[in-house]
Amino acid sequence: MSEKARVLIIDDDEDFRISIRTLLQSEGYQTIEADSGKQGLEKIKLEKPDVILLDIMMETMDEGYLLNQVLKFQKQYEDFKAIPILMVSSIQEDPLSRFPKAAGQVDMIIPDYYFSKPVDIPKFLETLKKVLQK
Amino acid sequence: MTIDAKQNYYIVVIDDDPVMRLSCIKILSKEGYQVESYEDGLQGLEQIHIKKPDLMVVDLKMPKISGMEVIARVHEIDSQICIVVITGYATIGTAVQAMKAGAYDFLPKPFTPDELRIIVERGIERTVLQRQSIELARKKEEMERRFITFVSHQLQSPLTAVQQYLQVLNHLKNSPEKEKLQQQWIERSISRINDLKDMVEDWLTISKVESGCIADACEQIDVLPLLQDVVSDYESFIREKKIRLRLSIPDRLARVWGHFDCLKIVFSNLIHNAIKYNKNRGKLTIRAAEDGEFVAITIADSGIGIPADKIQFLFQEFYRVRDESTKNISGTGLGLAICQKIINELNGKIEVQSKLNKGSAFKMKLPKYKGGSVD
Repeated sequence: MSEKARVLIIDDDEDFRISIRTLLQSEGYQTIEADSGKQGLEKIKLEKPDVILLDIMMETMDEGYLLNQVLKFQKQYEDFKAIPILMVSSIQEDPLSRFPKAAGQVDMIIPDYYFSKPVDIPKFLETLKKVLQK
Repeated sequence: MTIDAKQNYYIVVIDDDPVMRLSCIKILSKEGYQVESYEDGLQGLEQIHIKKPDLMVVDLKMPKISGMEVIARVHEIDSQICIVVITGYATIGTAVQAMKAGAYDFLPKPFTPDELRIIVERGIERTVLQRQSIELARKKEEMERRFITFVSHQLQSPLTAVQQYLQVLNHLKNSPEKEKLQQQWIERSISRINDLKDMVEDWLTISKVESGCIADACEQIDVLPLLQDVVSDYESFIREKKIRLRLSIPDRLARVWGHFDCLKIVFSNLIHNAIKYNKNRGKLTIRAAEDGEFVAITIADSGIGIPADKIQFLFQEFYRVRDESTKNISGTGLGLAICQKIINELNGKIEVQSKLNKGSAFKMKLPKYKGGSVD
């Protein structure tokens, strides 16, 4: 990729944004940040990033999931639904069990990539590279 | 139950006697239920796989497959299906056996339409109740699961933030910029670890309060020196924010019946909040006065206030008002939950009045110490 790829970090934890931003910039990426799902959607529209790093639990427990749903299903975000999403969360458990189908709910979409915090740096950078090459 | 409500329930009748089937259908559909009937158990079992009934009326004595076996097989498919057994007088013994096997009730032949109606309606009502209680248990479990997820997230967040700082530092090549970052990140990490420590301490306080042991260790307490003591703990913070403090407590004030350490935690939390969420040069007013059986204590600030729609959540564990004005104020989200739990344990009351941008007032009522009388 000739131009620097742009990564949008959506996370309400400022410290996590700082460390990941520094890491990504040191690897030659450009970063954009949002501290909530709402701000995240605004930045997606405004900046159309190449990849999104998405936290799950922000102000509400399922904020990250909901943003993912909105992005994949709502017509007004049609142009953005192909942007790859890497989900991150500090909940330590089997990623699949994080995406339960509660009664009467729309299926939670299982993200393509899921990382537990703190992210394993070599694996994370490798995945990012792979995702951006696609 | 109204006819409309009955339309929602589906009943299957299994009996080899065509007259009996017809009369059951007639009685029950007139009541409003959806009813279907089958002449033998095998046929009936096939059908209930496709559409599960809410209740079944089953004859015990049938040629191909016995009613007893039907009961067992139906409950293999769904143990919640309510089964009413109909039987001739000669097989009362079997009917008792059927009930032991899981049938809900039995009706000896011949029966009147009213007898069938009553027994079926009772059966349906029991099914509805059973479903509701299963649903409630499921919801409760779900809420507990979400709560555990939430608590572990709150505790993990500071830890993973620090871990991530360390791992990124470990990954970055040495450079003067890295040196500078390192210093900043150490400070941020210390602050996150302190948050975590506060949270764990608060959490332990909550479990101590919830264990119900504080009521046994109550004593008579003079609130004035306790409040003065807590205020002096925050002296430098008060000075730093140039808060004007006013203590309005009568010299002769009844003692309260409380737990010393716990009341100190309550006063500390409320006074700390009143400084933390205050404006620079704001006011902090602490008032106490007797109020019937209670001593009323108010801790009021002239700070940022609480949005009216958020007040109802204020005493919930981990709840924090999150907006621009609170963005840079740290807290565990447990302080007010602890205050409320402690005050409840002490048979007191706590309430809050607040106006956005004007300030908040937390008013407590603590029971008076009733002299030498045995409580």
